Amino acid sequence: MRAATARGAAAARRPVVWLAAGVVAVLVLLVALPLGGLVRATVGPGADGAWGDVASGPLADALLWQPLRGSLLVGLGTGVLATVLGAFLAWVVVLSDVPGRKVIGVLAAVPFALPSFALALAWETVFRNDRVGGNPGLLAALGVAVPDWLAWGPVPVVLTLVAHYFSLSYLVIAAALANVGGDVVAAAELTGASRLRVATRIVLPSVAPAVLSGFLLAFAEGVSNFAVPALLGLPVRFQTLSTRLYGAISTGDAERGYVLSIVLVVVAGLVLLVGNRLTAGRSYSTITGKATRARLVRTGAARLPLAALAWALVAATAVVPGVVLALSTVLRRSGSLDGGLTWHYWVGESDPSVAQGLRGVLRDPTVLDALGGTLRLGVVVAVCAVVLGALAAAVLRALPRARALHATVGLLGYVPFLIPGVALGAAVIAQFGAPTGPLPALYGTFAILVLAGVAASLPFALQTARAAFGQVSRELDEAAVLTGAVAPRRFARITLPLVSRGLANGAVLVFVTMVRDLSVVVLLVTPATPLLSMTTFRYASEGFTQHANAITLVIALIAVTATLLARRLEPGRKES
Amino acid sequence: MTTLALDGLGKRFGAATAVADLTLDVPSGAFLVLLGPSGCGKTTTLRMLAGLEEPTSGRIRLGDRVVADPAAGVLVPAQRRGTGMVFQSYALWPHMSVRQNVAWPLAVARWSRADRTARVTEVLAALDIADLADRSPAQISGGQQQRVAIARTIAPRPEVVLFDEPLSNLDARLRVETRDLLGRVHRSTGATSVYVTHDQVEALALATHVAVLRDGRLEQVGTPTELLERPATAFVAGFLGNPPAVLLAGETRDGVLRRGDLRLADVPGGATARHAMYRPQDLRLDPEGEVDLDVVESTPAAGDHLVTGLVPAVAAGRAGSGETDAGPQRITVVADRRVEPGTRTRLRLPAVPAALFGPDGARL
Repeated sequence: MRAATARGAAAARRPVVWLAAGVVAVLVLLVALPLGGLVRATVGPGADGAWGDVASGPLADALLWQPLRGSLLVGLGTGVLATVLGAFLAWVVVLSDVPGRKVIGVLAAVPFALPSFALALAWETVFRNDRVGGNPGLLAALGVAVPDWLAWGPVPVVLTLVAHYFSLSYLVIAAALANVGGDVVAAAELTGASRLRVATRIVLPSVAPAVLSGFLLAFAEGVSNFAVPALLGLPVRFQTLSTRLYGAISTGDAERGYVLSIVLVVVAGLVLLVGNRLTAGRSYSTITGKATRARLVRTGAARLPLAALAWALVAATAVVPGVVLALSTVLRRSGSLDGGLTWHYWVGESDPSVAQGLRGVLRDPTVLDALGGTLRLGVVVAVCAVVLGALAAAVLRALPRARALHATVGLLGYVPFLIPGVALGAAVIAQFGAPTGPLPALYGTFAILVLAGVAASLPFALQTARAAFGQVSRELDEAAVLTGAVAPRRFARITLPLVSRGLANGAVLVFVTMVRDLSVVVLLVTPATPLLSMTTFRYASEGFTQHANAITLVIALIAVTATLLARRLEPGRKES
Repeated sequence: MTTLALDGLGKRFGAATAVADLTLDVPSGAFLVLLGPSGCGKTTTLRMLAGLEEPTSGRIRLGDRVVADPAAGVLVPAQRRGTGMVFQSYALWPHMSVRQNVAWPLAVARWSRADRTARVTEVLAALDIADLADRSPAQISGGQQQRVAIARTIAPRPEVVLFDEPLSNLDARLRVETRDLLGRVHRSTGATSVYVTHDQVEALALATHVAVLRDGRLEQVGTPTELLERPATAFVAGFLGNPPAVLLAGETRDGVLRRGDLRLADVPGGATARHAMYRPQDLRLDPEGEVDLDVVESTPAAGDHLVTGLVPAVAAGRAGSGETDAGPQRITVVADRRVEPGTRTRLRLPAVPAALFGPDGARL
């Protein structure tokens, strides 16, 4: 007992222990408090029996079961199709001799860098029919009768989400395929096994964990995505959990919305947890010694058809949407060339005869305000998330034997990964919409956006920071210890210069996700805190197609520029 | 220059004991090699000397300064021990040039700018890497990186220099060259040095003192000659020497150590012997000899041949006889000609073994 007290007293004298306590406190504030607040808001007298209403009341079908079925349908469709397409492209790029596979590889990674609503807007621009009124899409304008199932509802929602998330499956599976050592395949071929047998017994089992985790990631994203079902499903009342809970909360039915948020967290969280369980420890890539690249598969007569298919796929998802969006913004009448071309929607002054007098986006002070807000939010969240991640990583590294600390930071830093953006937004409102301890009510402030953004970016920021610190061998610091340098000096001169590149790279990627995010902020944005993604969403819902598309292009431009910048900052890339 | 003393030093990781009750006295300016198989606790010992690990028991003294004594609550942090260390991975700071790597420790030690420049120039020249001063560690070869690591360590003139298997990442030829370099560095700096390795050739080439560790315990400490001439335990006898001593197992009955029916040696004073030790050069290959040998390798060496073979297991001893070394034993002897691997020949033993070891491994 005395020894424990003495140890405690000794620990309290170390600054790093105080730092660790601070990090844990911030993590609790960002993650544990909102989740607790979300649960608290759904129970007790103030909640007015929200759980009962949602689960078994007369409205249960409309509130819960239909949206749940919608979510699962979209998730399953997205998961299956995205995995099939991603695996196909990964095989083409890594193992086949299809011409231009390098370029296919680059293009296949593009859709994921775009905001998911960009693809939904592009879809609308082409396929929109007159079911819900407003301007028709390109096809309808050309006189093609677009059936409702192709214009609205689950089919376009799934296809747009697939176009967005097959990138993810592609990246995961391509990495796994590239890791299957050439020697491993050669050794199997030398036994005399047929190519099919080598593929099914050697290659496929090696990438199976990646395929599965790609599927589950896409499934979870499909279940919880907000923007796409909101744009393509809501007009025909096709609901998912995300759109339903948004509807509930934004119309003042907060408690039931919170209940739906919890259901969504549980569904998406379970899928991701199962995925992690199934794939944990099942990566075989480290077993092989020196990596050799697998020889390419000769596809023979199938070469050109395969190439055409792969090219068509990346063109349709990476190139066409951008072109469609860009083109649509210069058409005077949406979906039709008859009206001629115009820059009005970009730079035009207010004209009561066009779009109810809305100005061109580059002249509209509210849009410019939103641009400023988006950039500010992106920068602030990126800096806060990465600094927090770096502090957490540094503390974990400095206290390698503090088990409880590692478990706590690991858990709190991972949980937001399981929480869909809309639900996280709901949780943040539930907790910080009202005063919390010394904090005033934050609803409608910039701070609440930052809180939610940092919480959402935490898993990625922490992982990036830990990876960056992990790259720095412990011996580098120990060598500095032996010179007699004190901890702050070692950190500034040795560790910081070595991790800064990785951290900067991580910060840029957090910035990108924040700039194109809609789901986290959709419940939190008020007219006092405008953001580009929210402006585009509002314009799209109100039928100002050209304005929405133009703003989306601005967002895409910022995202792509920053992504390219991040690639230059990638750790391990030599500055030349 | 300083003396270095370990007194009953111990280190436990949870339930596992890495180092137990290690007592060593190292005179000023000595070159002590901690030698042993992997996992024997030698690196842990070195890191405790540096202050990178905390001992759980015992005491460490540098000169007359106690730097670690957990019982008394004394733990001088690594920064304030004044030791230098060459890491197995070299641990060069990748974002600094060679010159900066060597100069930074001097800056930390508050050397003046002029002194720093002069010392860096001097050390780089001494290690023959002056022309690499402005390169980054990634741009130089492994052997050159090793020289930079040594330069960085000795530049601030530490009283104690620690080496953690510094040669294990180099190819065979560089290893020999760098070994010579380390010997020169030690003679010119005179710093008390502690060097960890599992390679007994390195140990015998560099050491003024060798401490052989096994399972966290000290087997024997002494000069290389003492260890070779008078190994204190069967483990040391079988570990040191090139080739190492030949140990034949047997059992003691009625004051005689026997291997099967073969009489190896008289055991005096009612003691029990388990192993008889012979020097490789005292054994002769002789078809008329007493012990079978299945040859597996025959390597030319310095005009002779090192013949390695397996001595087959003796017919299992009678039940309950306590015979444990029933398996074949691998031994190496010096012969004057090549012997074809795969053939069987015999060994002639000298009448009296060079030493006898008891069942606990200790010399009788």
